[in-house]
Amino acid sequence: MPTVRKSEVEYDHYFDQKSNRHYLNGVLTVLHCHHYTSLYTQLAMDAGETDLLKECAREVFRDVLADYFRRHPAIAELQSKVEIACQYYAMIGLGSMRVVFMGDESGEVRLDSSHTDSGWMKKWGKSDKPINYLTAGYIEAMFEALLDAPAKSFHALEVESIAMGAPSSRFKVVRR
Amino acid sequence: MAIDRKQIIERMSRIQMLPDAHGIIEACNVLVTQLPARFWNMFAERLTAKSPEELLEAKEYLLYNAAHECGYHTGHGIITSDEWKAVVAPMIERVPEDVLHGAYAVLTAWGWANSEIVELIPAEKMVVRAYDYYEADIVKYGKSPKLSAYMLAGVSAAFMELAYAGDYDPAGKCIGRFACKQVKGIECGDAYGEFVVTKA
Repeated sequence: MPTVRKSEVEYDHYFDQKSNRHYLNGVLTVLHCHHYTSLYTQLAMDAGETDLLKECAREVFRDVLADYFRRHPAIAELQSKVEIACQYYAMIGLGSMRVVFMGDESGEVRLDSSHTDSGWMKKWGKSDKPINYLTAGYIEAMFEALLDAPAKSFHALEVESIAMGAPSSRFKVVRR
Repeated sequence: MAIDRKQIIERMSRIQMLPDAHGIIEACNVLVTQLPARFWNMFAERLTAKSPEELLEAKEYLLYNAAHECGYHTGHGIITSDEWKAVVAPMIERVPEDVLHGAYAVLTAWGWANSEIVELIPAEKMVVRAYDYYEADIVKYGKSPKLSAYMLAGVSAAFMELAYAGDYDPAGKCIGRFACKQVKGIECGDAYGEFVVTKA
């Protein structure tokens, strides 16, 4: 089977006129604004539930990414999978992601732009701590799905944050 | 011309939300994501389902409030957008009542809920019915004892404020003038969700 080295993520948008629901690559999706993202993040912080927010992102995006690669078996090389996962992140409006490195034990990911951080700053200005738990969950899901690792194998920690004034966000990833 | 719900849904649902070169989607004066609906449901349901009884109301209020603020700002963005001006504005005869009816058609087109206004007493009361909404997906069998459409309730209160609480305020000072109570829910076994908005 040929492998695809340079990949472009599929964009298949479908609106079901009977149920009035939107599907992106077969996944039921819903539009929400930066106020909603920011307030959910703030809510999670206030309620001491940032791990829950990250957990939900990890579980959902692990399924989304794993399913995507199941449906596209020609995308077999890790480099192509990383490109697709970053493009998917951009396609759903979360920002621009770069994987600096990915390994079985550790990794590093950077964001050059971020919906969550830009939205937070637009709403409330600079933050005194990192706030992008949603992306930390996405990154953990990406490492699990791309490396065929069991659930909860990786821990992603945001160590530099656009919302705090950094030019880009940086996430350190370590095997649990 | 009166509000043509079918036409609004048909045309507004076709708009594709594509990101710019930085992976950011900007529409209706806000930044937008198109995340799996399951993500939002999962967080709201796990947060509330595991909550001790004495903290449940506070957590539900925070979820409702997130949608209330979102609905106020995004709702304003929608009704001042180019897409609105092209599709909905030509149908508007009565302001703000037709604006409200049009807003629910757009809300339906955006996939939040197949919903419409069934009763409207200007500046006093609005009753909204939702025949399908993604927040009801938390139940796959049986009936939940907990009404869970926090997003739809918050957005409904916000839409009433946009219509009857004065000019739009970017700081959101009007938020809270109206309140919405969900009284029926598909997730609880009802045939539809029902939402009653009144003055706070």
